[in-house]
Amino acid sequence: MNRRDFLQFASLTMAGSMIPGMDLLAEARYSGKIVVLVHLDGGNDGFNTLVPYADEAYYALRPKIAIKGRHVIKLKDGFGMHPQLKPLEQYWKSGQMAWVQGLGYPNAILSHFKSLDVWESGSVNQHAQGWLANVLPKYKKGLHGVVIGGAVGGNSVMKGSQLNAVTMQNPKSFIKAAGRISDIGISRRNPAIAHVSNVQHQLHQVGKQIAERVGPSPKGVPGRFRGELGHGLEAVAQMILSGVDAPVYKVRQDGFDTHAGQITAQSNSLFQLANGLHSFANVMRRSGRWNDVVVVTYSEFGRRAKENRGQGTDHGTASAHLVMGGAVKQGIYGKHPDLKRLDGNGNVAHTTDFRSLYATLSERWWRQGNPWKGHRSIPFV
Amino acid sequence: MDVQRGILNKLSFSEARHLVARTGFGPEWQRIKSIEGKPMRTAVQMIIGQRHSQPPRPPSLSPWSRLLTFRKGERQKRMIMRVGKGEGKALQTWWANHMLKTRAPLVERMTLFWHNVFPSTIEKTLAPSLLYQQNLTIRKHAFGGFRELLHAVSKDPAMLLYLDGYKNQKEDPNENFSRELLELFTVGIGVYQERDIREAARAFTGWSIDDRSGKFVMNAQKHDPNMKTIMGRKANFNGDQVLDMLLRHPRTAERVAERFWREFISVSHPNRGTVKRWAHVFRASNYNIAKLLETVLTSNEFWDERNRGALIRSPIDLAIGTLRTLPYKLPKNNLSHQLNNMGQALFNQPSVKGWEGGQEWLSTQSLLLRNNLLSNLTRGVMRTENSHFAKLLPTSSPDELEAWLLPIPALTERPAQKGNQRLVRNFVLDPAYQLL
Repeated sequence: MNRRDFLQFASLTMAGSMIPGMDLLAEARYSGKIVVLVHLDGGNDGFNTLVPYADEAYYALRPKIAIKGRHVIKLKDGFGMHPQLKPLEQYWKSGQMAWVQGLGYPNAILSHFKSLDVWESGSVNQHAQGWLANVLPKYKKGLHGVVIGGAVGGNSVMKGSQLNAVTMQNPKSFIKAAGRISDIGISRRNPAIAHVSNVQHQLHQVGKQIAERVGPSPKGVPGRFRGELGHGLEAVAQMILSGVDAPVYKVRQDGFDTHAGQITAQSNSLFQLANGLHSFANVMRRSGRWNDVVVVTYSEFGRRAKENRGQGTDHGTASAHLVMGGAVKQGIYGKHPDLKRLDGNGNVAHTTDFRSLYATLSERWWRQGNPWKGHRSIPFV
Repeated sequence: MDVQRGILNKLSFSEARHLVARTGFGPEWQRIKSIEGKPMRTAVQMIIGQRHSQPPRPPSLSPWSRLLTFRKGERQKRMIMRVGKGEGKALQTWWANHMLKTRAPLVERMTLFWHNVFPSTIEKTLAPSLLYQQNLTIRKHAFGGFRELLHAVSKDPAMLLYLDGYKNQKEDPNENFSRELLELFTVGIGVYQERDIREAARAFTGWSIDDRSGKFVMNAQKHDPNMKTIMGRKANFNGDQVLDMLLRHPRTAERVAERFWREFISVSHPNRGTVKRWAHVFRASNYNIAKLLETVLTSNEFWDERNRGALIRSPIDLAIGTLRTLPYKLPKNNLSHQLNNMGQALFNQPSVKGWEGGQEWLSTQSLLLRNNLLSNLTRGVMRTENSHFAKLLPTSSPDELEAWLLPIPALTERPAQKGNQRLVRNFVLDPAYQLL
């Protein structure tokens, strides 16, 4: 065993022995800061989400699918929201919503899979860990994240040997599966069994915590939750309200890969998004947790500036994303990409590095400093 | 076990078990018994010598000439996605089932090992027929010369697709292959500059895939024959010469030796001295893989008792190892689907680095899935219908069952109620069962 292994090993053993029972349960109610990540799967078209209705170039590039100024929900400075985001207008008005424009990274990759890896790892070429692995292990012990839906491997945002994350379809099926995991002490016989027994111990604790707090038949939360995203957000609300102590939840809404017939397709997906988030925010507000929650959307990329012949848009680069929460500071941050200066693929140049988003959450929300030096945080919280 | 002692002494049950589990899939009873009591070197040579295994006929896969017609034009994109995914699944099933049935599991283990050193994916290539050909190529060289393997893989059509080598032309060099060749396949970061990647890419210009045959072709008119400076040497290198130059660098052999450590010894950091020694043997044998394998399997490090159970089972080790060792079967024949779920999709590694392996196999997310699989398996469908479970086991002694199924003692208590079916289930669900 060399020094590095020993240190890793020692930290495992210490975690096991210093805290009796390693207690996720010992903490009373988790009152920490929560982030809900909403993956807009497929690559959402930012230009038809936060609409630059004062930009002539936008209308010139998209004669068929541009959203007309009179339909836009106007926010400020010539920007407004897609009409399907109407349910979220009240959050803008009450100062609890922000937008960040032009989010992307240099030499954008146009493959769904690879660009998602970039976004979820927070790195252009190192995808071994999710970006959260740079922040959460320092922030707290025990459970770090819950992913709703998807398979292993599809959740690189929570990847990392120091991250304790679980994936579930819903708390009920998870409790059942985790109930089969027996509790064990942490063995130090060799580094492999130290890792396995530590993971199993953690998983058992998470299962026990969720089972005890959420209960065998989870109570419904008030509100209308529909569709995959709606039910995902309902599960997140259930867990937050019952005191599960995960600082991050991840949910997804699909249907954003709008190569053709974009108007209908994107409207449907944004409708789901707006209603899901509104119902979720409502529950959080009524239970007094809204100030502890920040909701952030992200997507593998934005879309081509110019519409295609199928009244859709192809894979693009930079995009706008929304942030909501009781502690959010209203504003439209970042610069609107220049629609007159496109690259060889017809894509805009990004104006804000996506890691600034993560830097903000790390530095200003969780107070953990900025692991992405060179990418400054944005004052939206 | 001291190696000197091992030459003379005969393998104990637990030593035979260790060798079988790490060179096959699961501690198969018959295989353990076939080497128990034999001198260590004899046993190692027996196992390395077991290569008689023909993979079954492949599923029906569209040839390259047909795939090529789909690749032209936007409209055919959906078609090639559909073909790639459908045939890709069939190809995954083909290999998984062969691993389940083969009588020479070390051949599959080594093929899988090189498949992960040189990955090419269904996702990127959308050409399962070429991936099948690549598998045959890797299989052919799996115990042979690493030099020949590296040359063959570099010219392999699936690799040319996967790392965009087929697009690499004099007028517009593509660095993708060249970068991974230096960074991952040979010398590794630290001994070259960005500039070397660009220069090496020029040496590989013109390497492509023949439209008709789907085989490697060298397009002389797309090759850049001019001078290149690579890692301090100046010449009008071609691709083969770059490969040979990289093979002369000591780091290339060391990095293979490091991978052998992680494959056969332990999840801990490779021991520097051991790596140097193995790399030296490897180079001195002109990169003979069987020689390196024999060196590793007869080393003190391999037999060191502290390295028993010091590896974490990959999903393939876990699923296929269980199905080969114990009389269970999957309720549905969805083996390759299960592997995909647990994070080891054959022919579909998450990146060119391959599966990270080691501790990365096991997280709170994957443990739940691994445990679900084992829990479902041990709940009950037996390989033979209506048979009494005890009759299907090689021994009925609880201590012997434990020594057979687990590389280190169980962490959980044995069940209070009697019955071997319950006891075996208990061992399979023990954390020690996750180890190799």
